[in-house]
Amino acid sequence: MLLKVCKVIAIFIFLHIPAVSAKQPIVFQLDWLPGGDKSPVYVAIQQGFFEQAGFQVKVLTGRGSTDSITRVASGQAQFGFADIGSLMAAKAQGEVLAQAVLPYFTQAPHAFYILEESKLTNISQLAGKRIATSPFTSSNGFLPLVLEENGLHASQIQLIKANNGALGPMLLMKKVDAIIAWTTNTALYQDQARSAGKKIRVMPWSEKGLSLYSSSLIASEKLINTDPEMVQRFSEAFAKAIKFAYENPAQAARNVHDLVPEVDPEVAQGQVESSYNLVFNLVTERDGFGKYTKDRLNTTWQYVSKANELSVDALDPATVVPDFSLSEKRTQGQ
Amino acid sequence: MQKPHKLNSFIGLIVPWTFWFSMVLVWELACQWGEIPEYILPAPSVIWQAFLDVEFSRWLGHLWATLRVAFLGFIISVAVSIPLAIIMMRSVLIKRILYPFLVVIQSTPVVAVAPLIIVLLGTEDSSRILITCLITFFPVVVSTTTGMLDTPEELIELSRSLQAPRYRETWQIRMPYALPHIFSGFRVAITLAIIGAVVAEFVAAEEGLGYFIQFSTSFFKIPQAFAGLIFLACVSLLLFKSIQWIQAWWFPWSMPSEN
Repeated sequence: MLLKVCKVIAIFIFLHIPAVSAKQPIVFQLDWLPGGDKSPVYVAIQQGFFEQAGFQVKVLTGRGSTDSITRVASGQAQFGFADIGSLMAAKAQGEVLAQAVLPYFTQAPHAFYILEESKLTNISQLAGKRIATSPFTSSNGFLPLVLEENGLHASQIQLIKANNGALGPMLLMKKVDAIIAWTTNTALYQDQARSAGKKIRVMPWSEKGLSLYSSSLIASEKLINTDPEMVQRFSEAFAKAIKFAYENPAQAARNVHDLVPEVDPEVAQGQVESSYNLVFNLVTERDGFGKYTKDRLNTTWQYVSKANELSVDALDPATVVPDFSLSEKRTQGQ
Repeated sequence: MQKPHKLNSFIGLIVPWTFWFSMVLVWELACQWGEIPEYILPAPSVIWQAFLDVEFSRWLGHLWATLRVAFLGFIISVAVSIPLAIIMMRSVLIKRILYPFLVVIQSTPVVAVAPLIIVLLGTEDSSRILITCLITFFPVVVSTTTGMLDTPEELIELSRSLQAPRYRETWQIRMPYALPHIFSGFRVAITLAIIGAVVAEFVAAEEGLGYFIQFSTSFFKIPQAFAGLIFLACVSLLLFKSIQWIQAWWFPWSMPSEN
């Protein structure tokens, strides 16, 4: 009898322990606070995409791309969101053990926001105007480049640095002529403007000459080298979640809200919709979804190296992504 | 003789409350009549509504996350600071070695080192507790050392003439004399502990009142951010008063006399 009981227990343990341990625990590092633009990771959890791929994912909030890259490179997280430009700049200046494995924003989210009532219609009219930006945004590095693309020099505008939360009110109170912010927050700024009885207009830099890769799924380089199959499996589940989120923005927003109650579903939906053109656009139509191309990586690095005053030779941009994330395979010796 | 005392305590209670109520009323009226936009300065009624709009269980969750870090940081810093102060009081040489080091730690902006601490210790409570300790320990060390050195010299001489051991001199003479100073240090430290916990939450956290305020600001929910801020201020005030109550309860003789 005792033997039978032991056998039953042994079978139970055999059947159940592997089932529990089969889910690989993953720490996912966001580059900022949760919101609609970060919805794919929450969608992947809530819709079971990660679970089906064999992952149990814990999401941590971050405070910028540098923060996220540091934590992924140091092994505190296995995957994360980060701007590929920040990753390139970091890798050009030292050994950073992280790589970008999946493009998320194939266009940069930087933009000028102006009041609808303003007479400004293009960037070249910003000469002599007061423009507010937050002190630590990566947009600041790209500002001289987008101005240059539009025939202006950085010295021709008056740049004011202020806390991110103060930018909208400064614009609405006409303390400045324009602000620099990400298009992911268009819905939030429009809401704020509506409450003041005003309308705002967005001038995305991607439509004004600054076309480059931006937010990406990054992974620990150690993990990529030791278990590339697992990284690919995670990337595929993530890609599936991106598509789901942008096909079903309301559901994606609810998924974020379910895991982070602080996020309003309406606001999150607005953010998903505001981010659509960054994820699906002419670049993804031309190059396909979910793969990097060497040409665009080169273009991105050209902009990033200029913005960060780094030598173009300091980095081979193709080394920032693993082979399996490139649309065309590397040739020998590259 | 009883009547004027009662009247004084009544006035002492009513005047501050009337003052604060008037301030809130002026704020409310200024926002409504002056048509101050909500994203600049929300009216108290709007802030109150924003407070009610957040489920109470969520407030409690954030409060607990902040208090857990603040309390643990405060307790650890007290546990480290008092023995450190005793050692520094007993040995001038150690004081000369340690004091500049402590001043350097205190004058280093914690906001600047916080990201490094997070990278070293991870994103769990331990890193936030260390950040809180770094902010809180200094006032406790300084006030305890000052208090113990402030003991009347004749009492020390008396204890030495009676050949009292050093530990009795410390615990039975110097410490009681230092208590008002120590509690002053505690009062400063407990409010700094809240600031430390919030600073740490700004750098890395998944919950807490600092995280909540940062979250609200990033989503332009200014009334909600104000609600979080006022809630935090009330918690700080309550903790500050709690230290006073503990002192009055356990060491009533050490309370400063109120005129």
